[in-house]
Amino acid sequence: MSSHHHPPEDASGKRLADRPTHGIRREEIQSALEHAIHYLPSQGPIAIFVHHNTLHAFEHLPFEEAVVAGWNKYHSQPYLSEERFRKEYTNGRIIDADIDEVLKSDLGDNQSVPVILDTNRFQLRRMMLGHVIRNGPDQELLWFMAETNALDKFRRDIPAPSDRNIVESVKQWLLRHASSPDHASSPIDQTIESIRYEVNRGPLDTWSHENWCQLSLRWLHRVCREGAGFVGEVTTDEISVHRHRDVLLGTCQFDCDLRVLELLVRFLASFTDQGFAQWTMPNRSVGIYKSFLELYEVQSFFTEPWKRELAEAIQEDKRAGRSAMDSIENSLDRLGVPSGQIDDFIESTLLALPGWSGMIWQLETNAEWTPRPAPSGALMELLAVRLLLDRASIANAIRELLPSDRRQWLSEHGLSIEKLSECLEFQERKHVRQSVEQRAFILFQVAQLLGWPPNALVDLRPDQWQKLMNEISDFGSLERRRLFQLAYERNYRTQLLDALASQSLKEPRPAESISFQLVTCIDDREESLRRNLEEVEPQVETFGAAGFFSVPMYFRSSSDAHYIPLCPVVIKPQHFVDEIGTLSQQELQRRQAEARRVLGYASHRIHLGSRTLAAGIVTSLLGSLASLPMVARVLAPRLTSQLRSLVSRIVRPNQATMLLIERIDTQNNHQQSSLPTPKLNQGFTHEEMANMVQRLLGDIGLKRFSRLVIMLGHGSGSLNNPHESAYNCGACGGGRGGPNARAFALMANDYRVRRILEQRGMIIPESCIFVGGYHNTCNDDIEYFDIDRLPPSHQMEFLDAQAKLDEARQLNARERSRRFHSAPIDMSPAESLKHVEGRSEDLAQARPEYNHATNAACIVGRRDRTRGLFMDRRAFLTSYDPATDGPDTPILMRILQAIIPVCSGISLEYYFSTVDNVGYGCGSKLPHNITSLLGVMEGAVSDLRTGLSQQMVEIHEPMRILFVIESTPQALLSIMARNPNIDGMIRKRWVQIAVLSPDSSDIQLFENGGFVPYSPTVNQMPRVPNSLAIYQYQRGHLPFAKVTAS
Amino acid sequence: MIDFLGYLVIGCPILTLLVLSLTGLFQQPLPSIAVDRLTKTNVAIGLLASIGILIWMLWTGNRIRVLDLGNMVDINEEHLHFHLEFIFDRLSVPMVLMSFVLIGVIGSFANIYLQADSGYHRFFLCFSVFLVGLIFAFLAGTIETLFVGWELVGLSSALLIAYFHERPAPVQNGLRVWAVYRVADAAFLAAAIAMHHQYGQGEFAKMTGSGVWPEGVSTLDPWTSFLFGMLLLIAAAGKSGLIPFSGWLPRAMEGPTPSSAVFYGALSIHLGAYLLLRVSPIFAESIMLRVIVVLLGASTAIVAAAISRVQTDVKSALAYSSVCQVGIIVMEIGFGWWYLALIHMIGHAFLRSLQLLRAPTLLRDYRSLENAIGGRLAHQPGPEISADAHSLSSRWYRFALERGYMDSMIDLYVVRPFCNLFHYFTRLEDRWMQFLSGETPVICEHYPTRESNSASDPVIAASPGANPQ
Repeated sequence: MSSHHHPPEDASGKRLADRPTHGIRREEIQSALEHAIHYLPSQGPIAIFVHHNTLHAFEHLPFEEAVVAGWNKYHSQPYLSEERFRKEYTNGRIIDADIDEVLKSDLGDNQSVPVILDTNRFQLRRMMLGHVIRNGPDQELLWFMAETNALDKFRRDIPAPSDRNIVESVKQWLLRHASSPDHASSPIDQTIESIRYEVNRGPLDTWSHENWCQLSLRWLHRVCREGAGFVGEVTTDEISVHRHRDVLLGTCQFDCDLRVLELLVRFLASFTDQGFAQWTMPNRSVGIYKSFLELYEVQSFFTEPWKRELAEAIQEDKRAGRSAMDSIENSLDRLGVPSGQIDDFIESTLLALPGWSGMIWQLETNAEWTPRPAPSGALMELLAVRLLLDRASIANAIRELLPSDRRQWLSEHGLSIEKLSECLEFQERKHVRQSVEQRAFILFQVAQLLGWPPNALVDLRPDQWQKLMNEISDFGSLERRRLFQLAYERNYRTQLLDALASQSLKEPRPAESISFQLVTCIDDREESLRRNLEEVEPQVETFGAAGFFSVPMYFRSSSDAHYIPLCPVVIKPQHFVDEIGTLSQQELQRRQAEARRVLGYASHRIHLGSRTLAAGIVTSLLGSLASLPMVARVLAPRLTSQLRSLVSRIVRPNQATMLLIERIDTQNNHQQSSLPTPKLNQGFTHEEMANMVQRLLGDIGLKRFSRLVIMLGHGSGSLNNPHESAYNCGACGGGRGGPNARAFALMANDYRVRRILEQRGMIIPESCIFVGGYHNTCNDDIEYFDIDRLPPSHQMEFLDAQAKLDEARQLNARERSRRFHSAPIDMSPAESLKHVEGRSEDLAQARPEYNHATNAACIVGRRDRTRGLFMDRRAFLTSYDPATDGPDTPILMRILQAIIPVCSGISLEYYFSTVDNVGYGCGSKLPHNITSLLGVMEGAVSDLRTGLSQQMVEIHEPMRILFVIESTPQALLSIMARNPNIDGMIRKRWVQIAVLSPDSSDIQLFENGGFVPYSPTVNQMPRVPNSLAIYQYQRGHLPFAKVTAS
Repeated sequence: MIDFLGYLVIGCPILTLLVLSLTGLFQQPLPSIAVDRLTKTNVAIGLLASIGILIWMLWTGNRIRVLDLGNMVDINEEHLHFHLEFIFDRLSVPMVLMSFVLIGVIGSFANIYLQADSGYHRFFLCFSVFLVGLIFAFLAGTIETLFVGWELVGLSSALLIAYFHERPAPVQNGLRVWAVYRVADAAFLAAAIAMHHQYGQGEFAKMTGSGVWPEGVSTLDPWTSFLFGMLLLIAAAGKSGLIPFSGWLPRAMEGPTPSSAVFYGALSIHLGAYLLLRVSPIFAESIMLRVIVVLLGASTAIVAAAISRVQTDVKSALAYSSVCQVGIIVMEIGFGWWYLALIHMIGHAFLRSLQLLRAPTLLRDYRSLENAIGGRLAHQPGPEISADAHSLSSRWYRFALERGYMDSMIDLYVVRPFCNLFHYFTRLEDRWMQFLSGETPVICEHYPTRESNSASDPVIAASPGANPQ
């Protein structure tokens, strides 16, 4: 085999001649790289999961163009499937009125553009939305026509008069025609004669209805078949191919990416490993490219052939002393990528492994908090490595797959995509869109459904057939799904807006009658807690605010090792806050910390030891002991966890802790050794505290204070869940919001803060006390902080409030449980609470909770506008009182700047992960495998998977979020004018916006660039005594209802 | 009475399998709650029955009970018979107990974990096949009974690896594991046939003498022992992922977590070691065989320990840790420490199952460990090495990262020659066909076997009869 000595890449002798100068080429590579980065997923290490718009890179486009661009780039679905939409139609989730309305508004003035006969465009499209037009390969169609009763009976779903119209018309025509003198001479007559021969040879007046149907259908099909012949062939656009791999795959059915993937993933995982593997990669600090060269330079007896080619390429790079950039240039030359195609080539090369490429970029730029971020330039080095691997794999594939004459030809002509395609006779794929048979079948169905008789169609001219076919083609699957999506959204929107319009405006209740006030996060999961609380305690007032409660901070709890940021990701906190033990408990705490540390080291040793040789023997000999916790945890998760927490009391940090939220004077504190070393911004000044308190209370419009205000942060705890952080509070950047609530309550209770506030005109009465708390949305537990510091005068009130909240969280658990298939449908609230407690501790539970699934709306306004409305945990509720806002609505602007990105990020991530769970989401959770402590792979080796898992989104209804804002259109338009981001999101239709008038129930909806009044449909909402009455025995989505209890 | 308990132990898994497979066959899948109850009840009965047998054995001091179901097939002229016989002794009863406990736990785990998954019934069907195979294999009294169990375990394992059959990787890996299993099966089958040739039947008692395990005395001469031993060792090496077959174990992690945990982490992986234990008396006869067993075990353990140290994903790391321990178990068998090996095996199975079950909770575990310690977990081995490509540490790291080159070795020196041979035949045939028909030659020497799988256009394909845009 002489060819072994002539690798094709070496033989492209001309490559030096047409090489552009270094500088230009490098700039081109650099800009191509920067360009490609936009399209990489922007999910960072999984320990901090932040929801964001999956198609962030396309936000400059209108939504419906962006999803198509996403399809072209990632081959991931733009909308739900038509099948799923039709199922939603069958379930009544989309109704005829929705389809009619969205189609009308979509067509605008073009509704009555005539198609053929009496049919206009609206009718044609309406029919195509209502009925499935089937199709299949030619052979299948021929079989279908010959072997089924397709030519004997009309489609079963045909609208009632259409079939009768056709038959009657054919009958009339035939009887009239038969009596006319010149009959039996034209081709039509011959056709009909032959059909009659097939159907019934008897005289026409003896024919049954079935015979007439048969005749009509057969004739109709023949006419359509003939008509289809007049229509020109249509082909789709070329799908351009950027990589050699695609050519090889398309011709030789050999995927040279597979082996590259296995090697590269293993290498990258080792390189980026955040501390899982016991051996660190040698030479890690010199960067991806150099350490790769060192590692794979050596060949041995066992090296596979393609890795030998890799080693040769590496040796060449080393000899020439190439940098990563030099290597990329060299590889591009070797692969014959001309300078105009570098952009596409680099982009598609990086997108061949999007998860890992994106992670490297995140580690390079956005992960300074990880133990091992990547050095700058890492992504470029990854590209250099990838190209080396690709070259080796391609060269090897060519050597092994092609006959020697072709190899020879290639080595003479170079390895560019064009030459490779030419050599392999690669046909870029041009879909012939439809064959004549297929077009005929489509026309045949359309004609049936629209009641077009064959005798009318027979006179159509070729250009009319062409026009008809164009009309049908123009309304293809993508268009239909777009309209279905609009109808789907319209259905929910109508329900929500009608429900809001039917709410009567209430007088604010007098301050004395309010038993207590509760402030939670705006999170959709807190909607049900608030509603249930209002039902058990009608005198309560609830508010929603972004869950970091305007307290951005780096926080470290007494049992934590590191500070974590607790605020939205867009904010970088400036202050550090520590939780420490109270003075009297510090000695005890120190001892506990010591014990924890010893146990921690021990369990780490065991953890590692069980995976090693010698220590592994000991641990596995004792391994039978592992059967006890295993059996217990799997069979009785809740009990086991209670037992465990009992045991761990011994080393758990004592509950008596305090927050160091006050700025510590660094000079005077040296003797107090228990305090952490003061940082630059340890704690807040009173001025800063007053600012934060004032801001939050102003934002949510809390101005009449009851004696007790409870602030509830939230988070979620579950086992066996790599995505655990995604379930936490989004406004706390994927952290748990308890400390923020606690800090806020401490600040608001501080007399010095109150004094400052008083000077600014915000008076919090002395009788008003704030209490911070933490709501675990997974097990519905609520924990309260600093209650030992409650004045005795407020203890009874607090206990009452606690009792009400306990009742509410049981009901909340009951309401949540209806969604869980493993939960019996008829549990009592107390049993439900136990159920969700068990769920959060269950190793086997793939759905500890449903997180933001089903989120659909965000309502910004006073709670009174939504109070008593059953919203099925689908709405973010942000409190805002337009009456307290200034003339330029600065408060609303502030709120919207924060919540539109957050809520639309959540909504859109759920949207895309649902419409294409494999492409945009991370697929099923069941085979997930945590790698490098950075993310999850599927099974043994795969790309890093980003997005949400199937188990997280399975009950979600993908819709763009609808913001309903209690304000005026003018205020909104002015905010949009001042804030281009918000403006873009709204005008490009990534979110829907409506405004609810502050002093009436008028609603205006943002449509086609402006606000238009919305006229509510009159329909009676169900009235129920309490929420339970509507969701009892129900698993699916529920309509809005009026709850009278609150 | 004791026989009745024995029948229960064997019957319960078979009943589960029958119910699940028949309801599946007639398209009447049971609701998940019924599947759950069925498996739980049967596993519980089987467990209680085997505990009963254990108590009886301890109480009466009786150390063996044989359940002879006679010949299933008996063609005397051909000397072909298939003898079904089960043994309850000190080796099999603990293994059966362990299997029931693990299978029961994993069954109820999977029932929640796979809730609402489209493959739920498929999983439980494979699961029951696996249970039957395991019980057959552990209780087997004849080599043919063991073979039946062995095959059922292999088949269900491969099917479960390919559980997510809509993606290509699980299917490819399932196929690869199946291929390795077949090599092991071939060695096993050869041993079985050899045994029948020698004795005209396949009872272990014939091979291992009349004594009760582990005190049997082999009736074979050293050379026959060596031959049998080697064949069985190959079979065991394939099934237990010893060198050079270790590469299949991490590939088996494609399936859902519970199946990885119980099958490859805990049960399947020990089947080879169990086989060696079952025939342990023949090792006493041949020193050479014992040396080979010890060497194989030791080298497996060392190599796997090194490989597991560089793994960055939790499941692969656990897979190689398992291989390492199995290597040690095999070593113990070679040294003749059979009880130790048995205890080691059972302990290891439990430990690994628990670790694999909680693998997805790794991030949380690391965080709480860091919090307890009060700092970042230290990276070993301390300072980072900088080494050039030819240095020992670099080479050793590469060796571990390439997983001991085991897969590439097999690919290079077994798979490729094999495939090349058949490609050569294909080419010959092709030339002959060309000669006959006068057609033009095809470009690729590898022939297209499937439709191009480059992304077809689902916007179009999503609904039949649809046309894009």
